[in-house]
Amino acid sequence: MTWIDQAIDGLKRTNIELIAYLPDTTISPLIEATQDDDAFETVLVTREEAAVGVLSGAWLGGRRGALLCQSSGLANTFNALASLSVPARLPFLGIVTRRGDLGEFNLAQVPAGYNMPGLLDELSVRNHSVHDAEDVDDRVEMAAESAFSTETPYVLLLETTVTGYKEESK
Amino acid sequence: MTGEDERDDGDEGRADQFVCTAAVLDVTPDVVAVSNLGVASYVLAGVADRERNFYQWGSMGVTTPTGLGLALAVDDPVVVFEGDGSLLMSLGVLSTLGAVDPPNLTVVVWDNAIYGTTGGQPNHSASTDFVGVAESCGVPATRVRSEDAFEDAYRAATERDRTELIVCAVEPVDPDTRPPFDFAHIKRRVREELAGE
Repeated sequence: MTWIDQAIDGLKRTNIELIAYLPDTTISPLIEATQDDDAFETVLVTREEAAVGVLSGAWLGGRRGALLCQSSGLANTFNALASLSVPARLPFLGIVTRRGDLGEFNLAQVPAGYNMPGLLDELSVRNHSVHDAEDVDDRVEMAAESAFSTETPYVLLLETTVTGYKEESK
Repeated sequence: MTGEDERDDGDEGRADQFVCTAAVLDVTPDVVAVSNLGVASYVLAGVADRERNFYQWGSMGVTTPTGLGLALAVDDPVVVFEGDGSLLMSLGVLSTLGAVDPPNLTVVVWDNAIYGTTGGQPNHSASTDFVGVAESCGVPATRVRSEDAFEDAYRAATERDRTELIVCAVEPVDPDTRPPFDFAHIKRRVREELAGE
């Protein structure tokens, strides 16, 4: 199975049915796979922090969801995570392609992307990096369990060793 | 989308936010309400502290998105009590509302022209046409300035199967009432009421 099929599997096994997203090159195949699958409803947001609201509201009403975006977009969620998800103890699942590390060509992606695990730690948002494509399935499932059983935010970072990366310097 | 939907009741006057908030609960007793941090939540708590109230204590700019998520999860009517300052922080959400357009969502914008919770500093309400912005994003919108016009507009909005926005000019207020301080308690109460767990 590709990492995309694995991610879809993990999302389905944990009853994730609402996908809020903003596109990123490497995560777009996963977004498209959720759009092509009747198991999911997808909502394109204009800024990633809105997804924290959409997914929090959906969970309050009884539905589970996840945000798909890239790490620079996750930086746009920090006030919502810090002043809604964490203090209200609301579940949030982010599945995020991490920019700024291996293979990164764009310096603008480095400060937030390379440092994202530490930034999330400072916000008290647990997170885990997936380095091997074969791990995606169970890591998505475990991240969802972590978020929804404890009713706290959890972010799964998909590294370029899983998703590939934009090659600009060749 | 003006014309038959136009309910502008003049250029003068400002409605009472308490009376208008109470009108929403009278017209739709089972409404799920998401209220912006600060004054909108203080007023709602003062009118009726309900299990279906999801008050915000933070996350300025994320109130309307939270209402959108609720509207996608429940069949009951959902109202957002939004602040003009919070909406100015996140006008892009109107584009999302226009595209998704859940039938059971009404967004009420309390336009008091100030940042009420931080001491009443002026915002850009006066130079911003909220109705125009919303309609340009595909969200039918109405502006009202009196309690009666507000109730009429709200009732009409809930009778149509689409997302609508009502901009209500209100007098600034500084209520003493507060929602529960325990944010996690608020969320637990709403979740149990709506999802039974």
